[in-house]
Amino acid sequence: MRAFLTGLLVALGLALTAGAASADDISANLRLMAFGSDAQLTAVKHAIERFNQKYPNVKVEVAIDPVSNGWGDYVTHVLSQFNAGNAYDVYGTAIETFRTFEERGMFIPLDDYIAKNASYSDFDPSLFKYSSYQGKTYFVPIGWNNIMINYNRALFRDAGVEYPKTWTWDQFREVAKKLTKRDAAGNVTQYGYEVPNQNFFVQPWFLTNGTSPLNADWTASNMLDPKVAETLQFLHDLVHVDKVSPIPGKDAMDNQFAAGQVAMINRGHWIIENAKRAKLDMDIANVPSKLNGDTVIGFGGYGVSKSSKNPELAKELVGALTSEETQKEEGELGGGVPGRKSAAETPGFLAFPPSAALYYQTLPHTVPVPSPANFQEAEKIFMRNYVAMMADEISIAEGVKRTDQELNASFKRLAAQQKAAK
Amino acid sequence: MQAAVMRQASDLQRLQARTGYLFLFPSFALYCVFILAPVIVTCILSFTYFDPMQGSRWVGLDNYVRFFTDDRSQQIFWNTLRFTAFAVTGNICVGMLFALALDRKMPGILLYLFRLAFFLPVIIAAAFVSIVWGYFYGDDLGVINYYLIRLGLSPVHWLTSSRYAMMSIVIMDVWKNAGFFMIIFIAALQGVPKTLIEAAVMDGAGYWRRFFRIVLPWISPIVFFAIVYASIGALQVFESIVILTRGGPGDATRSMSIYIVEEAFDSFEIGYAASIAVVMTVVILAITILQFLASRAWVRH
Repeated sequence: MRAFLTGLLVALGLALTAGAASADDISANLRLMAFGSDAQLTAVKHAIERFNQKYPNVKVEVAIDPVSNGWGDYVTHVLSQFNAGNAYDVYGTAIETFRTFEERGMFIPLDDYIAKNASYSDFDPSLFKYSSYQGKTYFVPIGWNNIMINYNRALFRDAGVEYPKTWTWDQFREVAKKLTKRDAAGNVTQYGYEVPNQNFFVQPWFLTNGTSPLNADWTASNMLDPKVAETLQFLHDLVHVDKVSPIPGKDAMDNQFAAGQVAMINRGHWIIENAKRAKLDMDIANVPSKLNGDTVIGFGGYGVSKSSKNPELAKELVGALTSEETQKEEGELGGGVPGRKSAAETPGFLAFPPSAALYYQTLPHTVPVPSPANFQEAEKIFMRNYVAMMADEISIAEGVKRTDQELNASFKRLAAQQKAAK
Repeated sequence: MQAAVMRQASDLQRLQARTGYLFLFPSFALYCVFILAPVIVTCILSFTYFDPMQGSRWVGLDNYVRFFTDDRSQQIFWNTLRFTAFAVTGNICVGMLFALALDRKMPGILLYLFRLAFFLPVIIAAAFVSIVWGYFYGDDLGVINYYLIRLGLSPVHWLTSSRYAMMSIVIMDVWKNAGFFMIIFIAALQGVPKTLIEAAVMDGAGYWRRFFRIVLPWISPIVFFAIVYASIGALQVFESIVILTRGGPGDATRSMSIYIVEEAFDSFEIGYAASIAVVMTVVILAITILQFLASRAWVRH
């Protein structure tokens, strides 16, 4: 028995010294779940090639999720993978999901790895701040997106409207009216604006009015704030009084924007990739302000799952995925504004849209998208009632009351579960 | 001697019984693993708060109390019944009309063509059908509204208004499924004895009188089967609604099966979802029992 143990120790020691001697000898399999479109997949594959130059015998298997149904659905996928004992080693995910994953202790802290890696000082510190929970950092930020008004310049010129720089809610409303076209019978042929149909896109309207559907630390509803109802009424009136936007439905109007059927939409940098391909004559502008000009920010990050059998290798892979080369490539391909400032200042990134510099300039005036631990439920509650209010199914007063009750019931269940778990 | 023969026979019987059970075993095992076990687990889950990562706990009747006191779940419950009532009526009536229209002498090629035309929607997956109907029903760019506007009528909010959304889904459901019932009814109609019909014709009975007095009673067991079958399908409606409206606007078109999936896999309220599933099973069971009781009055075997 003793001989066996000694043998085992010697073998282990040999394995360790061998590992320290050369990265060539390490052979392992890593599984990576990234998110995004083809552009991101290309950048991720290039990052893995660089990783494999250092670790030629580590096989990295990549899966990519297009997150076409929002982050709530993505959380569902990831939770199911963990529940089934089939978690990936490295996950790319977004701020909306951080709190859910952190509270469940699904990822390992990366503070030591980040501290060792001096080049991370190139990131805006606010991004690392939003990636932390109870003093520990679980995700290394990658691209981020803040919501801007994206507008079709050709339609502005046709309507004889000046390109917007800074504007107020009321000015925006007038512009939207001028950009809405109707035929002789009064049916709309071109909409001025798309009242958003997604949680993330609609947030700037609340922020610029100095409010939010949730309280500041994302633990309760803030729906009864009169400013929330005021904001919803404004959006409702864009649809039903001014008729400058269709009723927000199930599908976002990205295709209609590309086809020139709607002049302005709330989106982030990810649409640039398609706009370039479609040679769309578009630009971005600040969100219209009321009490302030704040907009919402969401961003992605890579984390290492707790169940990974090779956490050190997985951290190295995260390093490759967040390196300057990868960030530059991702920035120029589109999909998000790179987290590294250097990558957001390349001529390739600044080439399109004409006001691309605005993305980084507005970063100090951004607030992270409300991302409570029950995000996937809270988002559904808000959006279901929001769509009902925008479709005139329920009054704004009734809608905010109902949303408030449902949100608080959800937070109560969450608190009960957290208490029981402890 | 007599006794020995008896014992031999019972040995054979035992052997036959054993073989019988052996043949039964595979399907019974599959039934236990894939139907019985999930049913039992769902019933147990419905009394818990289930979270495999942070720990589960027993909550007694809390989930059921939540279901029966929540405004949303009540609206969703009635939505499901409303959809079932309209969709079953539509499917059975339209299917019967098609069957009656095709149950007559016409050139063979024409008959096959019509049957195929009405039956084709049945074999296309609901997911594809719903996407196409989504284009028809669009507010501003929809095919139907395009023609309504051309005709000088005002466009209809097919899917974005709770007044029309449920009906829009029922219309699509009837378009898709009526062909299935048509095929069943055609087969049933061809089984009605010609002699009976001819006798009625000689007695001077008109078409609809013959239909209601002779044909319908004759095929009533088939009609009954179709109603039960359509009801169970309609109570479980899922993908067509998800693709057309995702249950919206608000909760206007959300069905119980959508609610179950959303609570279980979006909100991770697995225990609560299990309790809704149990309620739904009981409802389907109750409706089917009611139909069987009612059938005693009008089905003639």
